[in-house]
Amino acid sequence: MNREAQRRLDEVRKERTELENNAIDELIAGRVSRREFIRFATVIGFSMPALAVVLEACSTSSTPTTGGNIKKGGRLNVGLQTPAGAMDPILTNDLGRLTILGQCGEYLCWSDSNLHLRPVLATSWTPNSDGTEWTFKIRQNVKYNDGSGPMTVDDVVATFKRLADPTVTGNNALSNFKGVLSSSGVTKVDNQTVKFTLDAANGNFPYLVSSDNYNAIILPAGYSGGWDQTFIGTGPWKLKTGGYVVNDHVSLDRNPTYWDSNNQPFLDGLDFKFYDSEPSAILAFQAGSLDVYTQFSVANGQGLLTDPNTTVIEIPTSAHRQVHLRVDQPPFNDKLVRQAMAFAIDRPTIITGLWNGKAQIANDHPLFKMYPSSDTSVAQRALDLTKAKSLMAQAGKASGVDVTLYTEKVQEIPALAALLVSAGGQIGIRITLNLTDSGTYYDRYWLNSPMGITDYGHRGVPNTFLSAPLLSTGTWNAAHFANPTYDGYYKDYVKAVDLSAQKAVAGKIENLLLDETPMLIPYNYDFLTAVKKKVSGLETSGMGHMNFRLAGITS
Amino acid sequence: MLRFLLRRVALALVTLWVLSVIIFLASHALPGDVGRRILGPFADPRAVATLDHSLGVDRPLLVQYLTWIGGFVHGDLGMSLSFHVPVSQLLLRGFGNSVKLAAVAFVIVVPLSIFGGVVAALRRGRLVDRIITVGGLSATAMPEFVTSIVLILVLSISLKVLPISVQVPPDADPLTQIYHLILPSLPLVLVLFGYIARITRAGMIEALESDYTRTAVLKGLPWRTVVIRHVLRNALMPTIAVVATQTGYLIGGLVVIETMFNYQGIGQLLYTAVSQKDFPLIQAGVMTVGIVYLAATLLADISYSLLNPRIRLAGRE
Repeated sequence: MNREAQRRLDEVRKERTELENNAIDELIAGRVSRREFIRFATVIGFSMPALAVVLEACSTSSTPTTGGNIKKGGRLNVGLQTPAGAMDPILTNDLGRLTILGQCGEYLCWSDSNLHLRPVLATSWTPNSDGTEWTFKIRQNVKYNDGSGPMTVDDVVATFKRLADPTVTGNNALSNFKGVLSSSGVTKVDNQTVKFTLDAANGNFPYLVSSDNYNAIILPAGYSGGWDQTFIGTGPWKLKTGGYVVNDHVSLDRNPTYWDSNNQPFLDGLDFKFYDSEPSAILAFQAGSLDVYTQFSVANGQGLLTDPNTTVIEIPTSAHRQVHLRVDQPPFNDKLVRQAMAFAIDRPTIITGLWNGKAQIANDHPLFKMYPSSDTSVAQRALDLTKAKSLMAQAGKASGVDVTLYTEKVQEIPALAALLVSAGGQIGIRITLNLTDSGTYYDRYWLNSPMGITDYGHRGVPNTFLSAPLLSTGTWNAAHFANPTYDGYYKDYVKAVDLSAQKAVAGKIENLLLDETPMLIPYNYDFLTAVKKKVSGLETSGMGHMNFRLAGITS
Repeated sequence: MLRFLLRRVALALVTLWVLSVIIFLASHALPGDVGRRILGPFADPRAVATLDHSLGVDRPLLVQYLTWIGGFVHGDLGMSLSFHVPVSQLLLRGFGNSVKLAAVAFVIVVPLSIFGGVVAALRRGRLVDRIITVGGLSATAMPEFVTSIVLILVLSISLKVLPISVQVPPDADPLTQIYHLILPSLPLVLVLFGYIARITRAGMIEALESDYTRTAVLKGLPWRTVVIRHVLRNALMPTIAVVATQTGYLIGGLVVIETMFNYQGIGQLLYTAVSQKDFPLIQAGVMTVGIVYLAATLLADISYSLLNPRIRLAGRE
């Protein structure tokens, strides 16, 4: 570090909190990578200019940006999964709707493909020392896409009070805010500031008000429903007159009152066409009816991966298939049998076969390597049939066991189930498959089966993965795993605001889950979006958002 | 004739009522909770409970049935549970789209397959007959999704002669709309051609071998007149019955075709409704298809009785 850089860094450090200075120390000492530092710095509300000074001082290069000769004007045809229900921010729980919400609405901050948080309707945020209070500065002079406004702190307060209110009909945000934030915890400090007083300390709280919590677009304080009539929000797009036909399409026009004067959209508009069937959407893309199609599977999209006229945007995500092994029923009530099953799985081969390499190897716990807080020094589990057979013998099950695996017929899951049958068969775990539709699986079998495969979507932080499916009181605990030591570790992890503290607990959690093996997670897969070569500037996120603000057609 | 018609309409109404009870019970027998289907498996139980209550699906079944059927007979089809819009709005669009597709397919397949059946019967045992019967049977045997994909790949992606997109601008003229509907109607034509042509062929052969045809020939009538006035009139009766029974399929049973071409017809709408447990939409959709089916059958009965007065007379006895 040269003298000038050191001087500037020292200047910056004077204005930093203790938490922020700890993070800088970790970076300088090499205990966290540049990527981990940036991600953590954005969570605790490090300002962008200060972040740039720290990164420059530590001799790291700036993030490359995408460019291209994007011309002004034109519209894009975008293929999207048919929304699963009414266009309503509070009810949203699927890709089709969250994508549309994210065009017309905006969040306090944006969780990007690297899990970094970027200010949007909040300009900055800071926690208190123990992570029980988070204070957000709200952007001023932001208008809504119907020309009304400006957006106020009252709007932000009303939005989050509604999202944390259990009496609001069909409130899908409750699964994120349960035990974290109550309506009474959202307060206006002044005309520029909102404070969240949490039910319990949470070091990753900003993710819950970011685009990762797709229900949380900021709406006017007086909003009382009927979003599908107005598509109101502060985003760069607005509903074209007569542009929404339920179950068929949504057409959006550029919002002429968009607040970010330096980053106005290039395009005149977007035409979203809904598809129930992935093969038909892919055929439409190949025939030229679509310019963009998200999200496609490797199984159906081989033609897109090799098409010279198509760019495939690949975003590693924490989305995964979770194989629960019910710990309170035979045959998986013996952890040796659970471990044996885990050692019988050839993860690299599964990733190649099912995902054509478009997935990351996972280690039977949800602290994926992509999370900066994960302890990557914990050894990766690998195929070891000798050890697996030995564990079966140790468990007194050398003659084998029988079990039924329940799951849903979605994407590659039946193929994964078949591979698990084959893997189990090698060590005497005789698995019978029971494949059903998604509704039946979740209604009947998910939480009541000895073994099952469940589809988990992306989360910017692992808190949800670590709580609902694994805590003794977890509502999605299909493995019926109840371990007081784990519950304690989880509490320590969630309340840790400091990255090194998070990492320390993460290591303990990873080792405990490897030992107990209540679940198998062979991989976390990539989010794939197909884009015609003429399109540039599209930003996607692991959650499935598509940011078209700086997208356009190249000249 | 009036009594015949009244009897048929009364029977149709009873059938519809039975259908309403069956579909109501069947749709409520679908596993799972409505609120959870709408909000997803990971939704908070409190959210599911509030949604179920607001949708009224936590009321006793009898109350739900009476509310629904009462609305239905007064023309109120209720609100879609999933999409929060009137069911009539969704059904009208889906039904309209299905009728358009069925009409294009009918206009192509009915004359084509009748012509094919007639030619095959008149050239019985010859090469043309073999080509029509074997080719038609092969096309019928092929699954719709296979023919759909092949047609899309060949006609839309490789040759680019027909558009894959069925969606046309709202202000498009009828010819443009028909042009966009040709590709999705072709798999239907392939499915139905062999079936209708074979029935027509069989009817033609039976009529050609009948006494009245021999009499007409012996009377010295020209062959063309014999075929058109005597043979076809009798030979087409089974064909009319087949075409009528296919109407229900063409209006409500095109889930595969509609999905492959991303066409928002009533079949796809019903499929979505079932997967979402959207009771009002399922019930109204099935009733609509049922009404269409019964209307088509009634129309076939009337055509039958006009072509063959013996049916009316038999009904009178």
